Amino acid sequence: MARKSKKQAEPANAQPIPKPNFGWMGRSNQWGTRVKPGKHGLRLGDLNVGIYGEIPEQWQDQTRNPRGAIPRKGVPPVGYPVRDKADLWADSAADLYEEAIQRRWAPATDIPWKSIKPLNEVSERAVCQVMTELSQYANCDIETISNWQHQMAYGYHEVKQYLATASFDSARMYEAFRKRALCNGGGLGLEAPGYVNRMILESRGGWSEAVTYLLLMRGTFMQTMLRYLEKYAHNEAERAIYGFALEAKARQMSYGLEHLQYSLAHDEERRSVMETLLFIGDRVWARELKDHVLREALAIVFAGGLDKAASEGMQIHKAMMTDCMQSYVDTCAWLGLPRNLEMMPPRITQYLVAARG
Amino acid sequence: MSAAENAEPLNLDWLDRQGEWGSDANPGKQGLTLDDIQIGTYGEVPDESDNMTGRPRGAMARAEAYRIGGYSVRSKQEIWLDNASFLYEEALQRQWSSATDVPWDSIEPLPDDIEQAECELATFLTEVEFVAGDVPSRWVAQMTPDYFEPRNVLLAQVMDEARHMDVFRKRALANGGGLMSATGGTAGVVGSIDLSRDFTEMSSRLHISGEGAVLTIFRMGELMAYNEAEKAMYRLCAQDEARHVAFGVMHMRYMAETAPERREEIECYLDEAERQILAGSQNPAGAQTESSQSLAILLGGGIDQYDEGIRKLMAIRRRQLTEYQKRVRSSGFGERFDNGRSPIHEMIAANAA
Amino acid sequence: MAKFPSVAWFDAVRRVYNADDAYRGAGGGQCNCLMGLKVGRERYLVTFEGEAVTGSWQCSNSELLDADFYLEMPLSVWREMLNNIAENGRATLNYTLNTLDLDREEGLSTSMHGDQYREDLFFRYNQTLQFFFNASARVKTVY
Repeated sequence: MARKSKKQAEPANAQPIPKPNFGWMGRSNQWGTRVKPGKHGLRLGDLNVGIYGEIPEQWQDQTRNPRGAIPRKGVPPVGYPVRDKADLWADSAADLYEEAIQRRWAPATDIPWKSIKPLNEVSERAVCQVMTELSQYANCDIETISNWQHQMAYGYHEVKQYLATASFDSARMYEAFRKRALCNGGGLGLEAPGYVNRMILESRGGWSEAVTYLLLMRGTFMQTMLRYLEKYAHNEAERAIYGFALEAKARQMSYGLEHLQYSLAHDEERRSVMETLLFIGDRVWARELKDHVLREALAIVFAGGLDKAASEGMQIHKAMMTDCMQSYVDTCAWLGLPRNLEMMPPRITQYLVAARG
Repeated sequence: MSAAENAEPLNLDWLDRQGEWGSDANPGKQGLTLDDIQIGTYGEVPDESDNMTGRPRGAMARAEAYRIGGYSVRSKQEIWLDNASFLYEEALQRQWSSATDVPWDSIEPLPDDIEQAECELATFLTEVEFVAGDVPSRWVAQMTPDYFEPRNVLLAQVMDEARHMDVFRKRALANGGGLMSATGGTAGVVGSIDLSRDFTEMSSRLHISGEGAVLTIFRMGELMAYNEAEKAMYRLCAQDEARHVAFGVMHMRYMAETAPERREEIECYLDEAERQILAGSQNPAGAQTESSQSLAILLGGGIDQYDEGIRKLMAIRRRQLTEYQKRVRSSGFGERFDNGRSPIHEMIAANAA
Repeated sequence: MAKFPSVAWFDAVRRVYNADDAYRGAGGGQCNCLMGLKVGRERYLVTFEGEAVTGSWQCSNSELLDADFYLEMPLSVWREMLNNIAENGRATLNYTLNTLDLDREEGLSTSMHGDQYREDLFFRYNQTLQFFFNASARVKTVY
């Protein structure tokens, strides 16, 4: 059982070893914990037994004391402004963390890059334009998540750990989209308009507010787009890129929507704040949707070229936007934030009205 | 009317507003890596970044785009290292799962003093990894995407540290023990990693000093492991940590080569690191702390072999200091050990047999 | 059957290693380094490139300068380690590379160039190196 360490020879002029104070021994808030691995190994969520699983509504400790450890008196605070459970929690965070690790991907080797064959120039330009905008969305994910993650208290380490995987996934997406743009005779396109990016990055009110814009709004759009892109992919490489990105985005959405649900259920003020955010956000989003660049690029991709882009391509784009907006308002309703179509911008409701015939 | 008849004409002006065209990166033996796509202008990393809109490097700018970046890290010199792409790809390839890649079933009950020492050490290491997760994350949010290569390495580090936090918590709760006392060794005091206001300052403390010391602890963990689970856990953590140290060494090397005007400033960071991190409570192989006592109990094989454990610890501490010295030399700042500026020689002698 | 140390032995081990995908996961993966070995008076170099060990050859002492790091132990300790691996299918507690490096006064891994950045590759790729030597369990080794 115990390995015998090789004895060190006592040196002739050895300094005396100070008598240790073993005052720390025998001090634990809960000793005797023995968590065993299950069918899927020893998972983070399995550790929440006894006091280690007591997750308070507010975490007062401003140091790096691990949840369940005995805090040390007199330790200066590090400062974690996000320390209310309602401001970040999702029950699934631990499971999503483990899932992200199990389903990890490396764009360099997990994408069959050699399956990419030359496309006609306009199609290639359209794909590259889409990649450029998706890169910028991924960049916004990275900056937003990283900005908030370090502000979260360690009482909710499951969330912090999940967000570490989320930002790493966004780094992979950024990398994969860029690689696709640069591997088939193309290049990067025009940067995105940035209105929604600015709105997401400026969500200084709190992490829940950022999640509303980053995931409920932008996340729904990106997820829908990725689904359509996967369907209309030109080759196995693109299919794989979109497929992996979709999985990662789906995890982010799971966390985000579950968090918003938890937040709304535990913070009475949150509902009216979110209604205001969505009211403002819709208008910013509508303004961004006015930009023709991404719309046209997607139409070309969906139509398989320029010839039918204006007709069939745009029809498919419209179907995509209808799916997106329907999903968006349905999700809002699920969260208990039903949308009043009369109060939403026409540029958004046009898709919903059309869908309702 | 048919779809074709209904169709509004497309604008398509964006087709003429794109970045450099004709990039044809090809996958090599190790797939399509970030190095493979450093072609043409896409591989040109600006010395100063005016990208305040968050656009991908090389994308065409929109004149009307808002300057939403607010980035405080906008010069290459502040952040760069020449092999960032390589380290990032390596990180992606060498990920592991604490849930399934550590043979938890191999853990059997240990004597109480050993289990307590393991759990106290695991509690400390959880705290340490918290710092190493928070701090790079904060810096990532402040960096222009023009330097996405080092940024991606830091994101990989944040991921690695999340996994380390997780694996030590798992070890503490897997064998009849529990978390013990926090040490407070990573608190926000002057000179600590948290309070760095400059990226190079932060990296010298976190990557070269802090993570170099923790790498040695992980290696000690593997040495003193009582079962296959601990062996695997510490070995895998040590791999990740060595990669983080490599980031620090290569960034410092870049600074040594390109920023002679900052040399004295960086020397001051190293002065402080050597005083505080290597000698203080953040290094359990240093002063007598709960974590150093835990290490000694584990290395000795029990509380009754504490003195033997301390002797082993001192021997490993000498090695730790020697490796630190060699890393700083590799970074291009070795002169400090030759001109008497660094107290490392004295530290090594103080820990000598 | 192959004699340790010899190019034939390293080639036999690398065939086993290269053929088993299990060595690419669990913290293994792509590895890029040139490992040297000193066994008695003999010197060898082994190339790790991406997911494969791509070559091994006998070299001179001065050629070890090219190695990112080299492993040096007396033949008797190499035999103990390899016997432990052969008996158990992998190195057990006292015979992992890191343990041998820390437990022995003279260490195991070092370099001729003294560049700690390159020597640190022994730590960065430690799981892969361990997998490589563990693969020798499936090679009948003679001395």
